[in-house]
Amino acid sequence: MKKFLTMFVLSAFLASTAFAQGAIKIGANWNLADITGNHGSKGAMLAVEEINKAGGVLGKQLQLVIVDDEGKGDKGVAAIEKLVTVDKVDFLIGGMSSAVALAQVPTMKKYQKVVVSTGAASYLVENALGADADWYFHLHPWDYTQGASYLEGWTAIRNKYPNIKIDRMFLAYEEGAFGKSSYDSSKKMFEKDFQFDGESFKSAALGGGDYTAMIEKAKEYKPDIFLWAGYDADALPMLEQAKAMRFSPPLFVGAPPGWPKDFGKSKLADNVTLYGMWAPSINDVNPVSKKFYDAFVAKYKEEPATYFGPLAYSAVYVLAEGIKRAGSLDSTAVIKALEQTKYLSALGETISFSPSNVIKHQGIRNQKILQWQNGRQEVIWPFEVQTRPPVYPFPAWK
Amino acid sequence: MKKPANYIFPLALIFAGGLLPVFLGAYPQAVARSVFTFMALAISWDMLLRSGQISFGIAGFFGLGSYTAIILSVRAGVAPVVAMLSAAAFAALVAFLLGFLVLRLRSTYFSITTLALGEIFKVIIHNWSSFTGGPEGLVLPQVVFGGKSSSLYWLSYAILLFAVGASVLFEKSKMHFSLTAIRNNEIAARTSGINIFANLLIAFTASSLIQGLVGGVHVMSYGFAMPDTAFDANYTLLPLAMALLGGIHSTWGPIIGALLLGVISEYLKLMIPYGHLLVYGLIIILVILFMPRGIYGLIKKERSKRNG
Repeated sequence: MKKFLTMFVLSAFLASTAFAQGAIKIGANWNLADITGNHGSKGAMLAVEEINKAGGVLGKQLQLVIVDDEGKGDKGVAAIEKLVTVDKVDFLIGGMSSAVALAQVPTMKKYQKVVVSTGAASYLVENALGADADWYFHLHPWDYTQGASYLEGWTAIRNKYPNIKIDRMFLAYEEGAFGKSSYDSSKKMFEKDFQFDGESFKSAALGGGDYTAMIEKAKEYKPDIFLWAGYDADALPMLEQAKAMRFSPPLFVGAPPGWPKDFGKSKLADNVTLYGMWAPSINDVNPVSKKFYDAFVAKYKEEPATYFGPLAYSAVYVLAEGIKRAGSLDSTAVIKALEQTKYLSALGETISFSPSNVIKHQGIRNQKILQWQNGRQEVIWPFEVQTRPPVYPFPAWK
Repeated sequence: MKKPANYIFPLALIFAGGLLPVFLGAYPQAVARSVFTFMALAISWDMLLRSGQISFGIAGFFGLGSYTAIILSVRAGVAPVVAMLSAAAFAALVAFLLGFLVLRLRSTYFSITTLALGEIFKVIIHNWSSFTGGPEGLVLPQVVFGGKSSSLYWLSYAILLFAVGASVLFEKSKMHFSLTAIRNNEIAARTSGINIFANLLIAFTASSLIQGLVGGVHVMSYGFAMPDTAFDANYTLLPLAMALLGGIHSTWGPIIGALLLGVISEYLKLMIPYGHLLVYGLIIILVILFMPRGIYGLIKKERSKRNG
């Protein structure tokens, strides 16, 4: 028995060493206690599994090493240090919070590993990186490119559906960095073409949850479109209070990074419009999205609840294809190869990289405009991936 | 008087701590920096607690120090060392001035007021956008020492030693007897001729100075400050949990607590990536329930039992 155990342990050790030596190591960090990081990491693991089943990359298997950044800057820095110096990863992916990314930038600059980032919307991250960070490939849109896409989207919707009147816009924003930067960039963007006003609120996620003063101001303003930028915890209580105060603007739009898991099951959700990069309805018009969705549900027995699932899944594929094109793990070659990326992603669009305001490699620029219709998020813009026309106006509360 | 042999262990420990970057890689150094940050905060919290006053204002003075350092650095181009020292000085000055108001309060009233002070600092910084960067915060063009791991380690280690030194000074000086007397019975302490207000003011100012200094060092090491992160409630809650776990009213208690919780949290994270926070929380609850005096309290009890 003892001999058998010794043999077993020895062979397991040799196998793992051989595997580790032959593998291409990808280091990743997300906040795993948060739904975005939880589903993001699962999306990435799924992509690695698929690629390995299909023979790997350059004849080697991919190995994904995930470290929880807990949504904290110091933990995010420790995660990068561990991935680079202990796990000796070849590449880095992941991320969600802009604050974590800001703390990580100096460490990333120190090692200059090729990074395919799935998070960080704040322009401050781009400023901190600087124009020389050619090793940084940013998939998630920046706050200002998102703002520009909303302007483009609403203008296109207004032009296509003349019955939809959008002149007066009201933006309710959570008082933290996320909400304030959304407000500032939207104001700058929309003020030229729309009448614009706004009011802050304390998010339920940060100990708030009373929206009555903000709703009162919005009601007085009589907006054609009411937008709110907050967190998933605000979604239902804000609708409850809007209902109680009989506030039903023609367009009720929410822009949190993620929605509560069962939001669609609530009766209040119907015809609420939202911003996002992905929804399961995209499966109807995009085969990659369907492939991702089916595999995710089969593996994890749950539906991807946020766009971070398909985004992280895409990040692994983008990187794997870049390595394949480069034909080696050399950073310079992989950077050049990634610059040639044209990847039809599960998000319903082809990912390629071009310069943004500061960095050289910006991937996705747009968010989509979606709407809850009969418990499902339908895409109403961009029209090329539209799954349903918009329901307008948002019905008055009964 | 203590025998010289009694100093050998602490001195060896200090020396060994300083040598760690020679043997450890960047990752353990990064974890150690985080542990040192919370350790220094836990020690500073305990320094005031020895008077019986429970402060919930750690995050407030930590955030105030963070913003003092980054504003001086970004707006006035002040050198990092000066910015960090100014963070300590400003937090101490604010605590000293506010002390005249808040140190009239006792028990829960004092605790709630210190919690509110932190919130007030946060609201001011949040709304004074033109100067503080508002909710989006401020970013340094470069972190101190160019982000070199060993230098950052030694910097946070030096700050920790400063906090330990201040705490030991409190323990070994007349302050210790004054604060203990105030904690045990304020009326009796006053009757014995102890200047209650002066002692509380010194303890409050000194603990806030350390919290401001730690905030200043933290912001210069990570390169940015936002109200949500600089005034994060974790900077109050974690040091409290660490001191309670290690044992209050001592320097060793917070050191043991911070070391254990810091290392356990990192270990659990690597072992149980999805669910480590649950186990971590459970450990804290169990230890506080079954070891109310903390680990150091238990050690002291065992030692005194053995000595009869």
